[in-house]
Order: sequence, then structure tokens, then C-alpha cells
Amino acid sequence: MADCHIGSWRDPKLREISTEAFSKSVDICIERKVDFVLISGDFFNTSLPSIDRLKVAVNKLRQLKENWIPVYIIPGSHDFSPSGKTMLDVLEEAGLMINVVKGSIVDERLRLSFTIDKKTGAKITGILGKRGMLDRHYYEALDKEPLEREEGFKIFMFHTAIEEFKPSDFEGINVSPLSTLPKNFNYYAGGHVHYVFSRKVEDYGLISYPGPLFPNSFKELEELGCGGFYIYEDGNLERVKIELLKTLHLSFSCSGKNPKQVNDMVMTRIESEDIKDKLITLRFYGKIVDGKISEIDFGHIFSEIAKKRPYLAVKNTNALSSDEFEDMKVEMGSADEIEERAVKEQSSGLSLFSDEAEMLQKLINTFNTEKKEGERQIDFEERIVKEASETLNL
Amino acid sequence: MIAGRVIGGDFSRILARQKSDYAMELGELLVAEKDGEKILLQVFDLVYGSQMSQQNLELISGFQLEEDSEIEVMDTKLRNYNIAALKTLVGIKGNKASMCKNLPAFFSELRQVTNDDLAFITKPKNPIFIGKLRSGSKALDVDVFLDGSKVFAHHILIPATTGKGKSNLTKCLLWDSVDKEYCGILVLDPHDEYYGRTELGLKDHPMKDKIVYYTPRSAPSGQRTLKINLNLLRPSHFAGSLAFTDAQGDAINAYYRKYGDTWIEALLLEQQIDVQVQDYTKAVVKRKLINLLDLSVNNKVYCNGIFDSTAGQTTLVDIAAELEKGNIVILDTSSFSGNLEILIGSMIALEILDRYKASKMKGSLEEKPVISIVIEEAPRVLGKDVLDAGPNVFSMIAREGRKFKIGLTAITQLPSLIPRDILANMNTKIVLGIEMAPERQAIIESASQDLSNDGRTIASLDIGEALITSNFAKFAIPVKIPFFDDFVKGYQNKFNADKYSKSFSGIKKG
Repeated sequence: MADCHIGSWRDPKLREISTEAFSKSVDICIERKVDFVLISGDFFNTSLPSIDRLKVAVNKLRQLKENWIPVYIIPGSHDFSPSGKTMLDVLEEAGLMINVVKGSIVDERLRLSFTIDKKTGAKITGILGKRGMLDRHYYEALDKEPLEREEGFKIFMFHTAIEEFKPSDFEGINVSPLSTLPKNFNYYAGGHVHYVFSRKVEDYGLISYPGPLFPNSFKELEELGCGGFYIYEDGNLERVKIELLKTLHLSFSCSGKNPKQVNDMVMTRIESEDIKDKLITLRFYGKIVDGKISEIDFGHIFSEIAKKRPYLAVKNTNALSSDEFEDMKVEMGSADEIEERAVKEQSSGLSLFSDEAEMLQKLINTFNTEKKEGERQIDFEERIVKEASETLNL
Repeated sequence: MIAGRVIGGDFSRILARQKSDYAMELGELLVAEKDGEKILLQVFDLVYGSQMSQQNLELISGFQLEEDSEIEVMDTKLRNYNIAALKTLVGIKGNKASMCKNLPAFFSELRQVTNDDLAFITKPKNPIFIGKLRSGSKALDVDVFLDGSKVFAHHILIPATTGKGKSNLTKCLLWDSVDKEYCGILVLDPHDEYYGRTELGLKDHPMKDKIVYYTPRSAPSGQRTLKINLNLLRPSHFAGSLAFTDAQGDAINAYYRKYGDTWIEALLLEQQIDVQVQDYTKAVVKRKLINLLDLSVNNKVYCNGIFDSTAGQTTLVDIAAELEKGNIVILDTSSFSGNLEILIGSMIALEILDRYKASKMKGSLEEKPVISIVIEEAPRVLGKDVLDAGPNVFSMIAREGRKFKIGLTAITQLPSLIPRDILANMNTKIVLGIEMAPERQAIIESASQDLSNDGRTIASLDIGEALITSNFAKFAIPVKIPFFDDFVKGYQNKFNADKYSKSFSGIKKG
């Protein structure tokens, strides 16, 4: 599995259900008596997750351990704090998981070593993921020859998109080409890209992205509906879906309509749909006329939806415009993607630091840090200033 | 050093007597001075001159050959000599050069050109290095640059006979372009020679991050396997690579209208469409597509080549984005049929053209780098016979690409196969040695400068010697192209790559 993003979503209901997706996955793994579990990055949504999320995660990891199911993990871009710390270290110290990103640097070459699963003899290694493709030089420096030469059943875990197989959302964004991966592995367990993909590739092996355990954005809710993971057995993959609730995706073209007509259109549609206990997504797009977006009565729409007792309803108006906002540029994509693009654009124009992209990304991570539970405001501020100063070498 | 003295002729053919201890060469640059101004001249022909009659000359040579005598002619240096035919290149006043409109004075001394004379040859704002200025066979210590942002947009033609240094010149041009922000270059490489898999090539450039290499086979580490999603193909992409009859064209358009992105799959699986298509027509179209795209059909479409049903969704956009960043994208097309190479080239070229047209409409084209597409054996897409069957994206770019900052760098042995209007649109020609008279003639007739007297000079160009004729040059510039390996060595020393050590945080010891 990959991209568990435990603790994601601001909405408490969605955050709860995304955590539940992990619990459900673990239950299935135990029930199916898998030999071991691979988690290809982004176990938590932030490097320092809240206590209640941590409690659930630890509890489920403990259950796996009690059932003699080891968990092998690589840290993903969300698992690291700006200073390089990760809660995964704590979990590894507690014996709940094993980070397989191990090796040494010899003459600026990265030599990875294998972690061997005692039960099956599978040899596992991998490369961690970092934000903004800051992990790219790990691949460039990777000494692949010893990995490729190694005999046995081998697994390579990675947390990056592959140039040749990346989905259209990644257009124009530089990612690692296939050739940066070592060849001759039996299984390549990928993460980071939230899409479902598997393919046998000549000279390499079976490459897979299981997608997130639960959709992590509005778009993913629409496109994926639910999350899932793969069970690998004798060269075959079975995708196990984690369907915790039913979803209904409603899409409204508002072009040429005024706010009242939009209201009427939505209400008519809602009346005709069975939405009880479902997760409802409402996407609005197009350019409205004779009015402002604020004149669409979303309050009324949502109160009418609530009467039909859905699990939750969420809306997206990113692609909705009116004359009022004609010149406004709408950025599409997840927050991470928008940040990555902005960093890339901004860093290309300046030459103040040796690696501006990395520095900007670290600064964004720093300013994105949340206050820990029980942390005093003054300590929180000091911590942020300290981390930012370290990043800027002040 | 005095080389000779002007003795007559006319404006297009100035005659000069060569000094006896000086050996003029075809293509040599000489200077005549007049009233503080200089005229730069170039030798384009050499003939014998003598004060003796032909009969006497023949008699003397007869004595020498048959009688073994040591007969000598009195004042031989005065009586027998060489006559050079020269043309004026530019008039030089101070550091400025302009078109020459007068003749050097009668009996003007001609001397060798010096660096001081050539101070008007300066480095433009967006330079692209072509080579060293050449006088005859001697390379002078004067670098010749052209304004890359202009010459790339207005197309470059590199005509030459095999073995005269086309690949070497292209490698040097590409190498010099790597660090230039003002241009992005797409190279369709049918010999897989520019990246340098097994030899010195662009992969060895200190700024190799700006080189993107796509290959269908065993991509070197860090480079990309060429995969293009089948759904990206449009009927218009096939212009120039597959010939369809009207009926076949109607059929593919009908499928595209009904099925959109998945039209190829729908056509190959013979899904329903609203219009009537003859079985025979359908079968022929299917066969053509299956052969070209390397597909097979058995209740499902199987992709065996570079076209893929799942991978390569972003390839076209990614390539266009790299070019817009001013990078060099090399496509190894060595294992492709000519038609497949043209198809892929067309897909990318159309993507770039569409993006730049959109930028022009938005008013943001000026911020974009100029993009050049390097095509080997250019008559395959720009040949008269090809264009008789209909225009393709390359002919479109050749005719109107400069309006959108997109140009071609066309390489060919046979420029005469390219229509004259397209040749005339190629505003910079870097002419290497061409022995075949019809090919030389095609170049001479479409050159930016008057090369009507240079046929012999072009025929005599040795390996690495070139003549640049360009709308962006004041005269047809003779140059010596450096040997790529030497050029690279000199360049690499200027760079100190990987200045910053990388951090490998997150790797645990073990």
C-alpha cells in the first residue's frame, strides 16, 4: 500500500474516514494472512501527526506485529519535517515497522543495502520520497549495478512518479524516468502518484502504484471514489478496494446561467438523487452570467442536502467564474502540486542560493508546520524561526 | 604582407596580380585600402598570367621536357605570375562595415587580412558560435557568431556531401546551444549520434541537465524511454507520414469525430460509426495503421512499439515544456522507419506550434525561447514530391514558423529536391563542401548573398570548411568549423559542474 495519509483532510468526518481506511486495510491484511506489508511512503499526512491519529496507527501496527506480519516502509514526502525528522523513526524504534531505506554513501554514490524478510527471504530496498523532486539526486547517485546483480526475490520501494507512466496531471512536471530505477527486481512498489497502475515492464519487473488508501483531494474523491491496495501473490496482483461508504458525484455546468438558474438546477438534481449516507461531491464549472458567484445560495443548497441525510457533502468551485473574476487565474491541482509549480517558477528567476528549489521547498515545509499538542505558542514560534534560520543558513 | 595588386576587372570580378612569393588560395580574404577606408575582398578564382605568348610558353616547356635543358626565362617572376579574381565583401570604416559600393583604386595593394581589420565582427546579443573565420584554408583567430534567436527562427539549412562534416557541425551547434536560454532545440536523430551513448556527445556537456534524451531502447540512466500514448494521435498527425485516399481520410475522420481520443482503437476494433465505410477501405486503413504504429489486434488492441495504450500520456506536453524551458530534446529515431519518425516529429511539431500560436494570441510569445527542429535528410519532409501530395507540419513551419518563433534546422545532401520557395525561406545556410553542380546551383540561387561566382569555392570546401550565407550576416562568411572533440575539450574547462555537494539525508546506515 502507499499514500495512507493518516490525518489528512481538514474536515473531521473525512479525516476520520481516511484513518479508518488504514484500519480496514490492516484488518484485511490480517484476515488474508499476508506475509508482510509494504508501505511506499506518506504513511502520515504530516511529519508530526496528532496524538489521536498516532494512537490509531500504532494500534493497527501493533495488531500486524502480533500476527507476525512485518511492515516495511519508506518515508514519503509528507513524512519528513523540514529538519529531516519523521515519526516513522519512533515507530521503527518501537519495532512496529522497518524503514528499508538503508545504505551508505561511497564516493558520492548511493549504495543501498537490502532488508531481508525472514519469513519469505524477500529482499527489500528502496528510496525515500521528498517534496519537489528533491529526491532526484538520490536516483542519479544510485549505484544500481550491485542491486541488479543480487539474486533472489527482490522488491524495490519508491515514492516518486515515473516519467513514462505518469498520469496527465503531471504534464510538464519533471519526474524520474524509468531508467533511474534499478533493473531486475521482481516487484516495484510505488507511491506518491495517487493513481492505480500496474504493469510488467521488460528488463524491470512488475511496477505498481496502488493509489491512496483513501482519496486525498476533491478530485481524487471524484476520480477514484475509494482507495485501495494491492495483494501480490506468485507474480499476480489483486487490487483490494477499501470502500467505506458510497459516493455520488454531481457535476454542474453553469455556463450561461445566472445564479438563480444555477440554484434551481442544483435543487432539481438533488431532489431526484438518493443521497442518504453517501459522500456527495458537487463540482461547479463554467462562467455564470448576470450575477456573482456569491449570489449562488450554497447555504440553502447544503441545508437542503442535509435534510436528505448524506454522510457528507463537499463542493468545488475552482472552475466556476463570472465576469467579476474573468481575469483571475485559477490554479488547478492539489496544494502540493501548486506549491511545487510555484517553487519551480519562482526559483528559476533568482540565483541567491546554491539550490533555491530545495531551499524554497524547505521553507514552505517549515511554514506549513503545525503547532504540536501542548506546545506553547512562544516555543512554537521559536521552533519555526530556528528551522527557517537553519534553512537560510542565517 | 603584400599579396598582390589590383590590375583591372569589373565590380563583380576584380582582377589582381599575385605577388610571386605569395600563394593566394580560393576563398582567401584580402584587404585593399583607399582614403582611410578598407575594402574586404575574397578570392574566388585563380588563373595563370604571362607576358609571353602561349607559343613561347609551350616551346620553353618543350625544352624542359624533351631536351632536359636547364633553360630559364629571364625575369621569370616578372614574366609569369598568377591572376586572382576577387569580389568585394564589405567596405570597412573604423569598426563598422557596410555594403561596398566602390572599387579599390587601380594598382591598390592587396594585403592579408588582420584581426584589426575584422573588428566589425562582433558577438551579437544572443550568440551562437559557428566557427573561426577562415581565409582560404587558414582559420583566423576570429570567432564567428550569429544571432541565434534570429537564425534559428528563420531556419537554417546545412547542405553538404557525405563526409564533409554535417554531423560534426550539428554537434558543435547543439553543444553551444545547451547553455543558451534563448533557444530550445528538438533533434530527430536517425543515427543516434548526438547524445553520445558510446562516444563523446551531448551527454558529456557540463550542463547535461538541459539535455533530455528519449530513446525506444535501453534508456541510459536518467534518460527517458520513448512512449507515446495512442490516444494522443489525431488524423492530422499523419500528414506526410501516411498517404490516405479521400475515402480512407473520410473514414478516419468519421471515427475521430465519433470516438475522439479513442478513435484508433475504435477503428481497429471496427466499432460502429454513423457513416457508411466500405469494408475494403476499412481494411486498408487498418492495415496501414497497424503497420505504422506497430499494433496488433485480437479482440483488443495490443501495442508492441513506442505507441502505448497506458504509458506516455504526457510525452508530447513534456517535450514541448522542455523546449519552452530552453532545453535540448533528442529523440533517438534510429530504429524507426522513416514514416514513423516523421509521424512522431509531426506530433511534437504540431504540439509546439499550437502552444506557440496560443502564446502569440495571449501576447506572451516574446517571453518564450525560439524553438528549432533539427531534421536530417530534410527532403523526406520538405521534398517537392512529398509536398506534391499535400503540405505537412514541417512545410508549414518552413513557410510561416518564424512568425511563431519556430524554425527548422534542415540537413541534407540534396538541397535541389527542396522547392525553391522553401529554400529561399531558409534564411541562413551553412554550406559545407558540395561537389555536385546541381546541388550547388540550388544553394547559390537561393542564397542570401550573391554567390554566383562561388560555385568553385563551394566545390573546393574541405572537411569542416564552410561558407555561411545569411540574412543576418553582412557578407557570405567563410568559416572553419572546429572538430567536435577539440571543441568540447576547450569548452568543458570553462565550466565547473556540480559546484554544490548534495545531501543524502534520510538514508540510514546499514
